[in-house]
Amino acid sequence: MTLTNSQHQRHYPAPPNQIYLYGTCLADTLFPDSGIDAIEFLERQGIEVIYPQGQTCCGQPAYNSGYTKQARTVAKQQIKQFPLDIPIVVISGSCGGMMRHHYQELLDGEPEISQFCDRIFEFTEFLVNVLKIKLNDNGEPERVALHTSCAARREMGVHLTGRELLGQLEHVELVTHPYESECCGFGGTFSVKHGDISIAMVNDKSQHLAETGVVRYVSADWGCMMNINGALEYQGKSLRGEHIASYLLNRTQTKEQ
Amino acid sequence: MNNARANILSKLHASIGDVDYEKLPQESSYAYASRSRQQQLAHFISQLESNHTQVIKTAASDIPTHISQQLKQRDISRLLYGKETHFSSLIEQVKDNDQQGNNSVQSSIDLVAYDFTIDGNKERLFNEMPASVTTSHSAIAATGTIVLWPTPQEPRTLSLVPPVHFVIVDAKQLFARFEQLINTQQWHNKLPTNIVLVSGPSKTADIQQTLAYGAHGPKELIVLLINSDEI
Amino acid sequence: MNNTTPASQTQPLEDESKYAASARNFRQNVARDLANDELRSNFRGAMDYLIDKRQSAFSDQDELETLRRQCQLIKQRCLVKLPLLLEQLEQQLTSNGIKVHWAETITQANEIIASIIESKQGKTVVKGKSMVSEETALNDHLEQRDIECLESDMGEYIVQLAHEHPSHIIMPAIHQNKRQVADLFAKNIEGFEHTTDVDALIQQGRKVLREKFCHADVGVSGVNFAVAQTGTLCLVENEGNGRMCTTVPDLHIAITGIEKVVESLNDVPPLLSLLTRSATGQAISTYFNMISHPRQTGEKDGPKEVHLVLLDNGRSQMYSDPELRQTLQCIRCGACMNHCPVYTRIGGHAYGTVYPGPIGKMVSPHMLGLEATTNLPTASSLCGACGEVCPVKIPIPKILLRLREESVKPVGDIPLIMKGQGSGRKPIEASVWKAWAAVHQSPTLYALSMWAVTRARAILPQKLGPWTQARTAPKVAAQTLHERVKLRNSQKQESGNE
Repeated sequence: MTLTNSQHQRHYPAPPNQIYLYGTCLADTLFPDSGIDAIEFLERQGIEVIYPQGQTCCGQPAYNSGYTKQARTVAKQQIKQFPLDIPIVVISGSCGGMMRHHYQELLDGEPEISQFCDRIFEFTEFLVNVLKIKLNDNGEPERVALHTSCAARREMGVHLTGRELLGQLEHVELVTHPYESECCGFGGTFSVKHGDISIAMVNDKSQHLAETGVVRYVSADWGCMMNINGALEYQGKSLRGEHIASYLLNRTQTKEQ
Repeated sequence: MNNARANILSKLHASIGDVDYEKLPQESSYAYASRSRQQQLAHFISQLESNHTQVIKTAASDIPTHISQQLKQRDISRLLYGKETHFSSLIEQVKDNDQQGNNSVQSSIDLVAYDFTIDGNKERLFNEMPASVTTSHSAIAATGTIVLWPTPQEPRTLSLVPPVHFVIVDAKQLFARFEQLINTQQWHNKLPTNIVLVSGPSKTADIQQTLAYGAHGPKELIVLLINSDEI
Repeated sequence: MNNTTPASQTQPLEDESKYAASARNFRQNVARDLANDELRSNFRGAMDYLIDKRQSAFSDQDELETLRRQCQLIKQRCLVKLPLLLEQLEQQLTSNGIKVHWAETITQANEIIASIIESKQGKTVVKGKSMVSEETALNDHLEQRDIECLESDMGEYIVQLAHEHPSHIIMPAIHQNKRQVADLFAKNIEGFEHTTDVDALIQQGRKVLREKFCHADVGVSGVNFAVAQTGTLCLVENEGNGRMCTTVPDLHIAITGIEKVVESLNDVPPLLSLLTRSATGQAISTYFNMISHPRQTGEKDGPKEVHLVLLDNGRSQMYSDPELRQTLQCIRCGACMNHCPVYTRIGGHAYGTVYPGPIGKMVSPHMLGLEATTNLPTASSLCGACGEVCPVKIPIPKILLRLREESVKPVGDIPLIMKGQGSGRKPIEASVWKAWAAVHQSPTLYALSMWAVTRARAILPQKLGPWTQARTAPKVAAQTLHERVKLRNSQKQESGNE
């Protein structure tokens, strides 16, 4: 297992009363449930969640395609949507990595860019390291697998925080799948530009996840899950991924609710 | 001739511009836990053994006996060695020793001194020398490495071409790490034609990641370790 | 030092080489190799093995991170001083009796080597493993001049017998399994009794190659580190063929890239330690060969002449940009390809270049131009596994991003950094990204288009090119998150007002 590197080491603030939620463009158009679930879950922790309507996309698709100028234009626009000096919680490790790390260079010279980047937290990172959350598991016993996106793992350390959160769930057994740290093959435009390589990768990933025999795997990134779930559905398998925000909300809900 | 040199250098100079070398970031090395001499020696031996090397702890005086025995086990009757080294007179006893210890055996060890140049003698070196013995310059504990420092007496191919290589290693010349050896002995002042760090017999994993020994150089490396009791 | 030489015009790089042609075929190569199940299982097995080996060599994370940082800084220092160190290296080697040659292009390098060999009436060459000589396609060139050139590294020997190129920079024949090697030997070596026993196969190779070492006129080798301080050529190897090539023939010619120079002997141990552990998980290679002189008076063996050819071939172009310069930190351990999920799937030959894998994606555009290699920087999911293991901390994903950017820059954009810059720009793609930026920088336009997309979800296409060849199409939500939040907030407000 890869341990943390220096990128993950950062100073965490005290739990705030108020945060911004960054929903990401994928969740916005395709998977809004996970955004709502994240808001619901955070509100239950006594936090006021602000969702600025002006947010669009972090700019990663253009950035990863070499269209830096276009990425910069869009990135600048995002910053304007988050004027208050409160944490910005991102429900995707890869968008989080973009905003926390790559904005530094992309927007080098912009006023207060590093303060902005310092306010970026990936959802599970925020729960574990800022809220220092303790979860009460009210769900049935089950085995789940965890898939962390590569950006989430390498730029945000989500493999650690995701594991930590699932570890807190008393009735959940976390199953490690073969080649756990290997990329699922999504990579944004890579999956279209080099479709055949991407397919070879996602076929392996979905098979490795299916081999564990779990009925559900959890992830903090919709990019990977769209890729893996799409492959699993195509193959006629019933295994599906669920966003960790939804998963945590469901597990911690009391029966009456 | 072309002007490649001038072109390359001028491009590099132009790209880098003026640099203040004083302002380069501080480089720091890892502080390895210090090991006692005994621990170093144990590590040295275990590293070598895990690299398919036979290590025989011996008194210097027993070197001839060990070599004879090992040669006999392998049915080898010729040994190439270097004259006028610290151990050559001992090595020269291999022959006598063999005759003394094994009266019943008719054949004795044919000791061949590497007192010829390689020119015109390559066939002989490659095809007629099944084993050799060399001294060593020093050794490195961390990696289980023997440092060979070839000389006119012990040429480079002496430790390379014969399929079985005996090497005499003095435990007193064991250094913890490569960097320590280089610095202690101030290697940068004068380097010989060639230095070879040897950490096992020749090997390869080029076919299906399967380790095989004796790719080109010695198939067997046998270390005669002296003074191991004195540290 | 001569500072009066004016900076020369940027020299045109090499003419279209065979590698540029095969790199252009990347997509076809990938399709071919992805369909080859045996090849894929050979690579998966080999990569699993190498990943495990490396991991077991770095049990102490602290040590690993300290060493990586140290070696990154060593290489960066040596690069900052590169022109000075090259001059110092030349001066030291020369005073040690080793002749130094400079080549800007592969043609020049091949010409230099062939001329040296011809001047000694050399007819047969044994070659130790050298990726730089693969870069120059030295074997082809020498064959054309009637000089036999035999690869002597076991993997390289196999690859040469099969008329192939190395598929991995450390383990050249990694794409073949033992049965395939046995078949190859049976076809090519007289008297070989077919066996898949690896020991027997290696002994067969040994027999053939020792005969060659014994009789070759010339030995050609690469260099892992060239020490400027002492004028020393350092070679890392396990087999002993490198020692044979650099010791037995009368003439030794080493060839290396200009980035291989290090400042002092002290720089060598940490680099060596990271190199062998990153490459094969060995604490050290079987042999570490340090050559500082040709045969000196009184010595009984060793080459009577030693030459070093220093090759540029695109390296000064990498050097011209501070970000891309980091590419030159590479010590050629191969860890990036061992950990690369793309390399593991497609293997080393699909790239079509000398250097496959992540390192190949970074260096090939400089050697062959971005136009021929336009598919290489994009053939990465940017997963970052390569950067995570790189012993000298080259930010590989970032450099790939940079190359993508250079590839799609508007032609004529300055500064011109690379050959082929802007060649990957497609008008349609560029307009798509322009439109994308226009929509995403305007909350109103964005809201409008999301509204349109969600309302049109029923009639959106269900076939999305390569995506739906192995996956179902994602389904657009009935309402966006933006809308759901708005609704939720107003409901909350209402219930709060009640």
